[in-house]
Amino acid sequence: MKDMKLGQYIHGNSTIHLLDPRTKIVCCTLAVIAVLISYQWYYLLLLAALVMIGIKCSGVGFKLIFHNLRSIRYFLLVSFVFQAILTTGQPVWHIGIITVTDKGLILGTVNLLRLIILFFGSFLLLMTTTPMKLATGIEYLLLPLNKIKVPVQSLSTVLNISFRFIPTLIEEANNIKDAQISRGAQFNGPKIILNVKNYLAILIPMLASSLIRAENVAEAMDSRCYSGHPNKVRMSSLRLKGIDVIVICFMLIILMIGIFVCFF
Amino acid sequence: MDKHAIELINVTKKYQCGDDIPALKDITLTIRQGEYIGILGMNGSGKSTLARLFNSLVKPSAGKIYINGMDLDSPEKLTEIRQLVGIVFQNPDDQLVCPVVEEEIAFGPENLGLPVSEVNNRLTWALQIMNLEELKYHAPHFLSGGQKQKVALASVLAMLPKYLILDEPTSMLDPTSRYELLEHLRKINSRNGITVVLISHNPEDLFYADRLIVLDHGSIYLQGNPREVYAEVEKLAAIGLEPPDFYQLIVRLEENGHKIDDNINTIPELVECICRK
Repeated sequence: MKDMKLGQYIHGNSTIHLLDPRTKIVCCTLAVIAVLISYQWYYLLLLAALVMIGIKCSGVGFKLIFHNLRSIRYFLLVSFVFQAILTTGQPVWHIGIITVTDKGLILGTVNLLRLIILFFGSFLLLMTTTPMKLATGIEYLLLPLNKIKVPVQSLSTVLNISFRFIPTLIEEANNIKDAQISRGAQFNGPKIILNVKNYLAILIPMLASSLIRAENVAEAMDSRCYSGHPNKVRMSSLRLKGIDVIVICFMLIILMIGIFVCFF
Repeated sequence: MDKHAIELINVTKKYQCGDDIPALKDITLTIRQGEYIGILGMNGSGKSTLARLFNSLVKPSAGKIYINGMDLDSPEKLTEIRQLVGIVFQNPDDQLVCPVVEEEIAFGPENLGLPVSEVNNRLTWALQIMNLEELKYHAPHFLSGGQKQKVALASVLAMLPKYLILDEPTSMLDPTSRYELLEHLRKINSRNGITVVLISHNPEDLFYADRLIVLDHGSIYLQGNPREVYAEVEKLAAIGLEPPDFYQLIVRLEENGHKIDDNINTIPELVECICRK
């Protein structure tokens, strides 16, 4: 449980897992919009319940979600407390010079619900979608930006290559660190300045080797005629099914309800 | 102009940094389609520069290069040339850019703008020819060095090149992976007719070559079939190279009066030849 990083992909075969990544990204975005425009606590409670149902369907397990929630518990607590104290309204409670107001409690709850929906919603997205499908979905959705000359494919290639090289770079950094340690460098010693200096001594070889690596990778890509074309094989693997359409329509309806409830 | 060969005519390459010593001096050579060429040389002999000249990653300072009759100087032919001449580099890590093996192999054909069905056909073929079917959905960066290099080779093969240049492909591999890679190359050359140009500083890699070219300080020092080249023991020693044990054994046997046939190039063949006598 400790090794599970925040928002890491968990393999599964639930309905949520099998949804097209574009559907999930769009629904997440719609949920974010709904959360940001609404201030009615009962609507937010409905949204929160929907997210919980989604989590239950995905089979990801509430234990994991609550473990993730633990990581942000202080942030949530501070957010609630400050909202409760600093909002003007009918005082409900006095603790010394600090006053908790009724509006403050409601607003505090509303913000808490907002944060919970946002966090849980994005956790749901990240845990049920592989990084590659996520990247493909985002790339597909950003394709219209090509019309205004934004190089979507190139940017997504840059992101993909960066992600692919993270484990390689980490391994290289560790190798350099080990080499330095075996020559007497200290990274966890008592003097902080020395530790910082030693970490900097890793940066320079890493920078040099990254530049050389970048040139090598560019040569390899050029040799295979790279020219920024769209990734047809990956894109064609995404297919919208009936259930995707149903889910998107459902989220749109929820958003409409939100707009209606909060503005009329 | 040979329509089925790589031709280098008086090619010289000088890099713009530092000294005026050319990396390659007045190289003239022809590589015919279907051959298996080994290029041997110590570090600094110009091997890597030569490799990069073949697919126009580097342009010559003087001289002309023709691939199947096409002048390498023409920018509009660049894609066609890079499809004809594929290159596999030394470091497997620096050649893999995609998160999944399947995508990596499809990278080349997609860049050529081929339809999805054709890309999938080539993907299946490349996976099958390199025995990588089980690794289709794996992440390349978590594979072993030998597997990574096989994926790199499969990715180049998916472009259906006629010439395959390999710049020291085995120097970062363990002995078993090295052997497997060389076996794959031999199969690709003999069964699929793809020209293999294997560049190495280790003569043991060039076992299956039809012809050897020895480079020294940017010039062609020796050229010929392996038996001829390795017979020149003193010349090779002068530039720091030694014939592999196999050929040294043949030389010793011939010195002691046992005539070995000219076309013996592998250990089993040698064993059979000796046993027959």
